[in-house]
Amino acid sequence: MKRLLALLLALVMVFGLAACGNSAAPAEKPAEAPAEAPAEAPAEAPAEAPAEAPAEAPAEEIVINFPSIWVGTDSKAAYMAQLVENFNAENAGAIKVVVEEQTDYQAYRDKIRTTITTGSAPDLCILDTTFDIKAYSESGKFMDLTPYLNEGWGDTFADGAFDAWSVDGHTYILPFESAIFPLIYNTKIFNEIGWDHFPATYDEFFQFCKDAKDKGYNAMGQMAGDNAWSSMLWYSLIVEAIGGKDVYANGLQDPAFVEAAKVLKEMYSYTFDGAISATAGDVNGHWLARDTAIYLNGPWWIGNLYKEDNAVDGVLLADDCDVAVNPKYEGGKGDGGLVTTVQGFLAAAKQDDPAKEAAVVKFLQYLTDPDHVSELALSSGAMFFVKYTPSPDTSVIAQKFTEIANNANYTVLHVNGAFPTAFSTEFPAAVSALVLGEVDEQGFVDMLQTAIDNAA
Amino acid sequence: MKLERSDRGPLWAFLGPAIILMLVFFVIPVIYVAVVSLMKWNGISAPEFRAVRNYLLLFKDKAFQRSVINNVIWALVAGFIQVPLAMVMAIILSRKPKGWKFFRTVYFFPQVISGIALATLWRAVYNAETGLLNGLLKAFGQGALAKDWLGTLQTAFPAVLIYWVFYIGYYMVIMMADITTIDESYYEAATIDGATDFQQAIHITIPLIRRTSLLTCVTLASVMGLRQFEQVYMLTNGGPANSTSTIVLYMYKKLQDTNYGMASASAVILILVGIVFIVCIRKLFEGRGEGAAPRKRRAVK
Repeated sequence: MKRLLALLLALVMVFGLAACGNSAAPAEKPAEAPAEAPAEAPAEAPAEAPAEAPAEAPAEEIVINFPSIWVGTDSKAAYMAQLVENFNAENAGAIKVVVEEQTDYQAYRDKIRTTITTGSAPDLCILDTTFDIKAYSESGKFMDLTPYLNEGWGDTFADGAFDAWSVDGHTYILPFESAIFPLIYNTKIFNEIGWDHFPATYDEFFQFCKDAKDKGYNAMGQMAGDNAWSSMLWYSLIVEAIGGKDVYANGLQDPAFVEAAKVLKEMYSYTFDGAISATAGDVNGHWLARDTAIYLNGPWWIGNLYKEDNAVDGVLLADDCDVAVNPKYEGGKGDGGLVTTVQGFLAAAKQDDPAKEAAVVKFLQYLTDPDHVSELALSSGAMFFVKYTPSPDTSVIAQKFTEIANNANYTVLHVNGAFPTAFSTEFPAAVSALVLGEVDEQGFVDMLQTAIDNAA
Repeated sequence: MKLERSDRGPLWAFLGPAIILMLVFFVIPVIYVAVVSLMKWNGISAPEFRAVRNYLLLFKDKAFQRSVINNVIWALVAGFIQVPLAMVMAIILSRKPKGWKFFRTVYFFPQVISGIALATLWRAVYNAETGLLNGLLKAFGQGALAKDWLGTLQTAFPAVLIYWVFYIGYYMVIMMADITTIDESYYEAATIDGATDFQQAIHITIPLIRRTSLLTCVTLASVMGLRQFEQVYMLTNGGPANSTSTIVLYMYKKLQDTNYGMASASAVILILVGIVFIVCIRKLFEGRGEGAAPRKRRAVK
């Protein structure tokens, strides 16, 4: 009897497990359906067809999964949501873009990296320079956009925008959002300290820092916590000022990197307390609290300067701000250069189904349409590789950014963009080690070099 | 004991699913990780065999060395400070003093809050400028002691570790559950013999839970100490200068670099360290030829 009972229990358990297995099946089906269904019919119904077809064949709606970081509080979120909504309305029944919201940048990167590695690249995603764009382009997992770009779409992008990111003349990953890094400074604080101009040289800059400190202000915000973003940008500016436009030609062997480390370390004497463990939130918080004189971040931050929430006594922060270029370094090779990066690439997974490929390209073209990009730039303050006519409503600060970009003698990437990902991963540890005296300037550069070598 | 042929069917029927799950979700992934640890692989291109080079790089990497040391410290603190603290509380509360239910709930409460939320809370406490800790120091005239607790080499790791040590509720309830099964007659006899509460705890309670819940808790706590990630990630991200890094955080950073070979090698080291820890703990609790632990009897009502 006991044996019989044991057998019965075992059978129940086995069936139970089997039932668990079956339950997964329905969940998988819908995901497969869009990919399979069009494979038979859609070949005849390429790019233009979807707009007409919906009423007859609603079941064949193509779903484009788009995990996006341009959501939540991101400055592009509102207009991006509107763009997607409009696109879905215009293509109702034929194409549907489903945005998977992810508001945390690092979590987003981790998710995208994992899904690509496991062989299931999302239909569309956003990459940045922490991804190995060349390796991803060569992986065969992304759609070759070259034929579409050659049909005229490519002409809407800035000249040479694809050069650095193409592989053997083929563009798989599209540089979309650009960024430049001029310095924004609080004119009210400058006036209080007794400065009527932005320092033109780094010597002058440190004199300003001393004056700011004497008056109880932080000259600038630094952070070695998280990804040490602010310090990374400052380091990039100093590196450019010292090493000039060819500073990356010899990797980290250029003496500019050691010299720049010395300057960066000194800057930590003129920032707020606790900068070693600080994050971007701390840097931004100090800037918004008007106790920091100079702010360094990308153009996407311009929108925050105009937010009523950040106004004090009804005065917008932007009203007390001006924009300046990187000071010159005595004896440095920098000469009117500008630190830039590709803040966002658009990448589409390679599709077996031509109809889905056409749908994805259609959405990409919609997204990068100059009129839409102009609106996106206006609403967010961000800058793009697409050629567009800036709106007359563009903010003063954004106009100054554009002016600086147009007047730059040359551009160099920020250090995170110029070196492999291992550099940016190690950078926070190297900065804190430098500032806390664990390593000297050469040791700082050696830490970064070792990280790159280990990953090679 | 020899199995009857007729017993084998049910035996495999019961064990089979567990063995299959174990193979699929543990053994095969571990073998896979071990193989990848011998490769250079960025997760996209074809892997390239590089023998033990990943391991050599790991052992030369100061950040990894620091991570292993931190993890060993963490596991030791967990096993030999956190669990004994939990045991003391379990013994005290098992005597059912006034308000014991309230304290049991209070001690267990942090277990229902996510580690991320707790880390965020403590990050605010440790904040150099606006943190509660520095605020209290200043309020009590000890402003000179205020510092960037998470940004100073000497204080960052202790700061990450200390608050966590006091989250003892999980182990406490496990041991309380065990203690309540100890036959009351042992304590009655000890009381008649004039043993104090402390002596009863030392000579009755601890020996009786030593090889059951105490061993379980020390093992669990040490293993959790070895796999620490979220607290460190949220509080310091391994900084400053990698001084608070742990093996799992190190592994995570290698994954960010798409350096799957070194990430896998560090995972293998973590597994080996874990095995060493578990073996050592079991040896420690086996004692010196004392044989099996005294049998416990359920209290007869």
